[in-house]
Amino acid sequence: MYKTRARSFPVLMITLAFFVGLGWFVFNLATHGAEWVSLPQNGHLSENGALEHAGSIIDRNGVVLAHSAGGKRIYHEDPAVRTACVHVVGDNTVNITTAVQNLYRSELTGYHFAFGQGLPNEWKEGASIRLTLDSNMQTAACRALGDRKGAAVVYNYRTGEILCLASTPGFDPENKPEDIETNEAYDGAYLNRAISSAYPPGSTFKLVTAAEALESIPGAEKITYHCEAEEDIGGAPVTCYAAFGDVDFKHALMYSCNLYFAHLAVDLGGDKMTARAQRCGFNACRSFDRITTAKSVYDVSQASVNDLAWSGVGQYTVLETPLNMAIRAAAIADGGTPMMPYLVEEIRTADGSVQKAQHTRGSSMMSPATADTLKEMMDYTVANFYDKSVFSDVLDVCAKTGTAEVGEAGEPHGWITGFCTSEEAPFAFAVIVEHGESGYGSAVPVASAILKAWEEEQKTN
Amino acid sequence: MEIIAFALRMAAPLIAGLLVILCYVSLHSGRREEKALIVLQDEQHDLVYPVLYWENSIGRSRSSDVHLEDPTVSRDHAVLLRREAGWLITDTGSRSGVLVNGQPTQGRTPVGVGDKITLGSTHLVLRRTSDISGQSAQRSTLRYISAAVLEALLLLYLSMITVSAALTTGSNTPGLMGGIFCAVTVVFCFVSVKLLHRHSFEQETLALLITGTGIILSSVHNERQCMVQLIAAGIGICFFCFMLWFLEVPDRVVKWHLIISILSLLLLAAALIFGKVQNGAKNWISLGPVSVQPSEFVKICYVFVGASTLDVLQTKKNLTEFIIVSALTVGLLAYMSDFGTALIFFCTFLIIAFMRSGDIRTVILALTGAGLGALMILSVKPYIADRFAAWGHVWEYADSSGYQQVHSLIYSASGGLFGVGYSEGYLQYLFASENDLVFCLLCEEAGCLLALICAVIIGGFVLYARGAATRSRSTFYSISACAAGGLLVIQTALNVFGVVDILPLTGVTFPFLSYGGSSMVACWGLLAFMKAADERTYSHYKRLKKTKPEEAPAAAA
Repeated sequence: MYKTRARSFPVLMITLAFFVGLGWFVFNLATHGAEWVSLPQNGHLSENGALEHAGSIIDRNGVVLAHSAGGKRIYHEDPAVRTACVHVVGDNTVNITTAVQNLYRSELTGYHFAFGQGLPNEWKEGASIRLTLDSNMQTAACRALGDRKGAAVVYNYRTGEILCLASTPGFDPENKPEDIETNEAYDGAYLNRAISSAYPPGSTFKLVTAAEALESIPGAEKITYHCEAEEDIGGAPVTCYAAFGDVDFKHALMYSCNLYFAHLAVDLGGDKMTARAQRCGFNACRSFDRITTAKSVYDVSQASVNDLAWSGVGQYTVLETPLNMAIRAAAIADGGTPMMPYLVEEIRTADGSVQKAQHTRGSSMMSPATADTLKEMMDYTVANFYDKSVFSDVLDVCAKTGTAEVGEAGEPHGWITGFCTSEEAPFAFAVIVEHGESGYGSAVPVASAILKAWEEEQKTN
Repeated sequence: MEIIAFALRMAAPLIAGLLVILCYVSLHSGRREEKALIVLQDEQHDLVYPVLYWENSIGRSRSSDVHLEDPTVSRDHAVLLRREAGWLITDTGSRSGVLVNGQPTQGRTPVGVGDKITLGSTHLVLRRTSDISGQSAQRSTLRYISAAVLEALLLLYLSMITVSAALTTGSNTPGLMGGIFCAVTVVFCFVSVKLLHRHSFEQETLALLITGTGIILSSVHNERQCMVQLIAAGIGICFFCFMLWFLEVPDRVVKWHLIISILSLLLLAAALIFGKVQNGAKNWISLGPVSVQPSEFVKICYVFVGASTLDVLQTKKNLTEFIIVSALTVGLLAYMSDFGTALIFFCTFLIIAFMRSGDIRTVILALTGAGLGALMILSVKPYIADRFAAWGHVWEYADSSGYQQVHSLIYSASGGLFGVGYSEGYLQYLFASENDLVFCLLCEEAGCLLALICAVIIGGFVLYARGAATRSRSTFYSISACAAGGLLVIQTALNVFGVVDILPLTGVTFPFLSYGGSSMVACWGLLAFMKAADERTYSHYKRLKKTKPEEAPAAAA
C-alpha cells in the first residue's frame, strides 16, 4: 500500500496547483479589485441609487457641485451651473464615461478593499473630491456657447490645473430632458467634446507647421511667398480667402495665409511634418486622471502632394481634440515643454487620508527658442490683426484663430487657441464652436467670456 | 436590519472556517497510528517484519511493503490482506509459489497466528505484535470530535446564513428552505450515528456546509431551482448511504467492475442517442418531468472501474481494459462537445493510471494521445477554438465572449470579504449564474471568504484522501478516494478558474454548490469513496462482533 500512496503524487500536485490558483485569484482580487469595481459595467455603481450615499464633489473655490443628503444625490442649486458642469461632474447614470462621478465612483461610493460594496448604507462613507475646475469660468463658457455646439478648455500652464473643460450641449442632471436621445439639439450630449471629440484644427495647425519650419529650415523667418489667393500645388488648387501678395513668416501667420504654410508643409515633406505633429500630441490619446481622450490624428502616409499641402493648414484628414490644442498653446507659452493638465486636485477619504494630484510636465513639443518666436508672432497677430481688447481689458493674450472647413457637413468650425502672458493668470486655452463660420466671429467671444468670468471673480475676492 | 444581516454575514465565514478546521483536525487525529498490526517473524535469520497496512505486498522489490532480501523470492511475490474474517495471503504470480504450513496455496488462503508462510526459501511465522518484544502495540482508542458538536456548529452556521438571507430578501423562502435543510442534516446525523453507529461525521459535515450554502444562495434567487437543489441533496444523501453499504466489502465491488464499466459506457451511449443539446453540449436525457445528465453518474462508475484491491493490481498488471474504457469515455464526451467533463475524466484517468501502475510511460503516452486527439478535434471542428478565444483576454472581449468572466470579476471584487448581501448582487441576472458562475455569485453576495472556504474544503478532501491512502482497508479505497477527490478538485478548478479567467471557461459545476440535480447526487456519490477510505467508517462491525466469541483470532490485533 505504501507504493500506492507514493504514486498518488499527481493528485497532490493537482491539488497544490489548485491552491496556488486560488492564491493567484486572491492576489488579483486584492491588487485589481478597486480597478474592477470602478468599471462602468458594475451594477452596484451604475444602477439607480448607487450615488445615494456618495461623497461630495467641490470646485477649486469650494463650490459644492454634487453631494448626497437624505438618500438623494443633489447637484448645484443653479440649473445653469449644473448643466455646465454635467460633463465633468456627471449625472446619476454612467452615460458620461469621462465624468468624475463615473471614473471615481468606487472612491465616491466608499468602496472598501475588505468590505467591497458590502457595508450597510448607514456605515458607507464615500470620499470627497476637490476639482481644479472653476465653476464660474465653466458656466461662463457654456453660457457664451449658448445653443451652439462646441467646447472650451482653459488650464493653468504653470501648474496644469484645468479651470474650464466645457462642452455643449449639456443637460440638467436633476431634470434630464426626456427627448435627450431623440432631439437633434442634444446630439452628443453625453460627450465631453473638449476631450472626447476630435475636429479638423484648420489654421490653428499652422503653429505646428511653423514650429517645424523654424527648427528645420535655417532662416525660415525670412522666407517670403507671393500669395495670389489661389495656386496649384501638386495638381490641385490650394486657396486663401484673400490675395495677400508678398508675405513673410510673421505676416503669413497673422493673415493666416494658407498658401504660405501649404508651401512650407510640402517643402518640409510628410516625414518631418508627421514627426513634428507626433511631438505635438498627434496620433496618440492623452490620458490624465483616469480619462483617456479621443485621438488626435495626423496621417499623411497616403497623401498626395496637394493633400500634404492642405495638411499643413490643418485640413485634409487632420483631427485634433480641443484639449490637445490647449496643451500645444501651453507649450508655446511655457518654453516648448507643456505642463500636463489635470482635473482632480484632491481625494479625501472618510478615514482622513488625502490623495493629492501630481504635477507632471509632458515631453518637449518644440525648442524654447521656437516657442518664444511663436509667442512673439502670436502676440503680434493679436496686437495688429485683431485688437488686444477683444479678449480682455486686463489680461495680455497671444492667440491664433482657425476656421476649419468641414466640406459638405456645413459651415466651417471656428477655433481660437492661445494663452495669457500675465503671471497672475497663466492660462492656456482652446475653444471650438461647431459650424461657427469663423474663429474670430464665434470662438473669440467665448474665450473672452471665460476670461471676463475670471476677472469678475478677482474683483469679488 | 441591514446591520444585523451584515454582522451575520461577517460571522458566518468565521463559524464555517472554525467548522472546517475542527473537521480536518478531527479527521487527522482520528487516523490510526501507523504501527504494526501484526508481525512476520523470520526465525532462521532472527528478523521481524512489521505488517503495517490492511493490504501488504511481499516481495524482493524494494518498494514492497514487506521487503525480503531473498533471491528465490519474486519481485512481487504475494499480498497479505486483512479482511473481516482474518488475515489472508494470495500468491500474485510468483515463480516459487506460496506455502502455508507446508501446504501449497491457490488463491486467497487464510493464515492465523502461529501459521508458517513459505516464500521461496524464506519462512515467515505470523505473530501478534504484543508477542514480540520491541514492537509497540497498536493503540486502539481513536480520538475525534463528536458528530453532535459538528452538527451543532453546522446548524449554527446554516441558521446564520438563513437569517441573513431572510433579512435582506424579506421573503419566507430562505427560512423555509433553510429550515427544511437543517432538518435534513439533523436526520442524517441521527441516522448515521444512532442507527448506523458511525461515529465520524466530518466529511458529511463539510459536504453539508457547501450544500447548505448553495441551497440558501439559490433560495433567494429562484424558488424552483432551490426545490430541485433540496430534493437532489436528499437523494444525494440517500445515495451516499447506499454507496457506503455497497463499498463495504472491496472484494465484492471488484467483482462488479465489468458490469459497471459496461453500464458507464451505456449511460454515455444513451446520452448520445437520446440526449438533447443544451448550451452547446449534448448531454441531457429527459425522463418525463426530470432531466438527468448521465455523464455525472459516469464519474462514479469510472472511479469504480479504476480502483482495485492490491492482489488484483499485482496479478493483473496491464491497464488495457481501463484504458479502453477511459478512451471511449473521454472520446464520447468530446464528441458530445462536453469538453469540460472530458478534461475532468482525462485528468482522473491520469491519477488512477499512475496510482495503479506507477508507470510514467503510460502517463506520457496518454498525454500524447490526448494532445493528438485535441488537435484532431480542432482540425475537424475549428470553430471550437473560438470558444476559448477570450481566455486570458477577457477584458478585450468584455462585451462578447468575455462578458461572463468580466462581470464575474467585477462583482467578486464588489463583494469584498463578506459580500453585499443575499440577493443584493447583480451577478444573479447573468446567464448560468447559479452553476457556471456560482463561485463569483457567492463571492459577491456572501463574500469571498466564504467562497474560498468552500473551495478549500474541496482541496482538503484530497489532502485527507492522500493521508488515508495507507490507512484505508484496501488499495481499492486508497485509489478510489484519491481519484474521487482529484476529480472534485479538477472540477472545482475548472469552475472557479474558468470564471476568473485563469483557465478557459468550460461550464462545469462547482461540487455541492452549483445548481444541478445530477451533479449534486453524483458529488455525494463521490464523497462516499472518500468516506469509505476512512478506516473508522466500518469500524462499528468490530464493535458489533465483540458480543460474539472471537472467531478469527488475529482479526483484531
